[in-house]
Amino acid sequence: MKAGYKQVKRMTGMMRSIHFVNIISMIVAVITGLYIADPYYQAFIAEDAVDKYVMAWNRWGHFIVAIIFDVTSIIVAYLFFFSRFEKPYKKVIPTKRNIVEFFEVLLNLLTLNRRKKFDSTHSDSFNTVYFAIFHLLLAWMLFTGLQLYVHVFPHGDSSIGAWWPWMLHLVTDWTLVVSSWMVGTTATGANIMDVRISHHLTMWLLLVWVAFHIYYQIWRTIFWKEGDIAIAVGGSKFIKEDKA
Amino acid sequence: MADRIEGVKKLFTSKSARVETNRGDAHYEKLFQLCQARIEELKTQTPSRNRLDIDDLLKDQGINRRDFMKWASAVTGMLMLPASFTPLVADAALLMNRAPVIWIELSDCAGNTEAMLRSDGPKIDEILLDIISLEFNETIMAASGHQAEAQLEDAMHTFKDKYLLFVEGAIPMGMNGQFGTIGAHGETFYDHLMRISKHAAAIVAVGSCATFGGVPAASPNPTGAVGVMDVVKGKPLINIPACPANPANMVGVIIHYILTGQVPELDSLLRPKFAFGYRIHDNCERRAHFDAGEFVEEWGDEGAKNNFCLYKVGCKGPMTFNNCSIVRYNEGVNWPVGVGRGCIGCSEPDFWDKYAYERPMADANIKAPTGGVEKTVDEFGLGLLTAAGIGIGIHAAASILAGKKEDGGEA
Repeated sequence: MKAGYKQVKRMTGMMRSIHFVNIISMIVAVITGLYIADPYYQAFIAEDAVDKYVMAWNRWGHFIVAIIFDVTSIIVAYLFFFSRFEKPYKKVIPTKRNIVEFFEVLLNLLTLNRRKKFDSTHSDSFNTVYFAIFHLLLAWMLFTGLQLYVHVFPHGDSSIGAWWPWMLHLVTDWTLVVSSWMVGTTATGANIMDVRISHHLTMWLLLVWVAFHIYYQIWRTIFWKEGDIAIAVGGSKFIKEDKA
Repeated sequence: MADRIEGVKKLFTSKSARVETNRGDAHYEKLFQLCQARIEELKTQTPSRNRLDIDDLLKDQGINRRDFMKWASAVTGMLMLPASFTPLVADAALLMNRAPVIWIELSDCAGNTEAMLRSDGPKIDEILLDIISLEFNETIMAASGHQAEAQLEDAMHTFKDKYLLFVEGAIPMGMNGQFGTIGAHGETFYDHLMRISKHAAAIVAVGSCATFGGVPAASPNPTGAVGVMDVVKGKPLINIPACPANPANMVGVIIHYILTGQVPELDSLLRPKFAFGYRIHDNCERRAHFDAGEFVEEWGDEGAKNNFCLYKVGCKGPMTFNNCSIVRYNEGVNWPVGVGRGCIGCSEPDFWDKYAYERPMADANIKAPTGGVEKTVDEFGLGLLTAAGIGIGIHAAASILAGKKEDGGEA
């Protein structure tokens, strides 16, 4: 370790694993999701249908990563409040301290690191709010996705029992009404196309989120010189002794 | 505990799309007794006014008893009743002239009436709609003007609180409803509907216009058209959407009403679950081609000749709830996907704006329902992503130009 620097642990092994599982899930979900939305490559026309199964494989992949995403989301939601490492919700509550820190971090970004009046040792309010937005978008994605999915069980039964479609209806039927309100309608009644439109649009919002996230973490690494990019890999960053 | 679980389950799922196809022997035995008693009671009543005899009509069309019983067992299946109900369903069909029906037309094209009238060689579904006691229908009645109004008044008076009200067409609410008036008194469609629905036993909204506003309510909806369920409250209401509504489903609803005296189980959009509990997609004859990724790429190509899936030319079967892939139209002759023309989701709310385009949603120019600029979701999303990219680029360039600050913080 470079002299005069102190190592600070920022992400546990579990958090890092979830981070990379999410990355892979998201890449697969976007690639397969775009195919499901509008099949952009053609199957070999001369082959028998049984050998192709292209749409079915794409849907299979999409659902598998969706379920993985569901599970990691539940873990993340739990850690958000109950983590023994760092409880992120404490940084999202709009206390005076958090609000000041939020805008200080924003100013740091906008002044190109000319002004840095906050402690960058631990996760700051700005980043935590930004992550919370990601998980809200993701939750919306999961609820709308499961609403689109549940209609494959019209009889209310599934390979793992009747509780599964029953539960999916219970927790996702509200997205019909909310999507209809969001997309806007001139008709009487909500329709599932609005859920689909919203699900598709939210993918773009998530991609926008990812673009800024990657840029900002690299930017921090370059300008703060505290090795922030290593947090997601090694779990720690480094901070000057005199500051910590 | 089991009761409570069942209660909670019922509370939260009663309006969802779930279709219960088997409710257990006890339920069906009770229902059978109820239906039998009701049929016996109806038999003692005289037919209201329609003197056509179903047996004669069927004979005239060359349909024998055996064909009729085959049809009855098919309808029993469609209504999701056990096979033992078949004789009751056949009886109910013969008693359809005991149900007085008033049929009114509002903002629409009369397409639902046409769908019944113009079927080539009427089959049992259409013949049955001949023998219902149709007390009033502007399109097919001989009377007009004051005579027609007198007929309506008479029917409403005679069958007060007993008639089924069929509504075809949307209700224009703009300009105090002045976009549509009817009769010599210039009554608005809204007042017309409210007056007639007041003493109806139940209301059946037929076709997409009456159910969800349909084409008249398409963006920008200049007349402020709405469906029946938006304006009529506190009455049993059944929606039979689709453009046109399938006569098989109208007959199903009437038979269910005659048989049980109740409206069939409905989903959250008040559509009978027996007809709208399933996606077209899941019972589509071209479904295997969807899973295989075999799509019609453009009209008339090799895939089209091989009956490939129509998803890429805009079929909305995966998002549309209806039974047309099972019962089809015109007594099972064919249906849109069968003729090589994708589903346009005509039985869904907002279908004209959000379903009826010949490409997948992700590749479509969907007009914003509230009016405004045509933008695809993708263009909008890509625009956002580009904006974010440009923002990032500017910030990065500025950062490079400004140079690194070794220490950070105030210099």
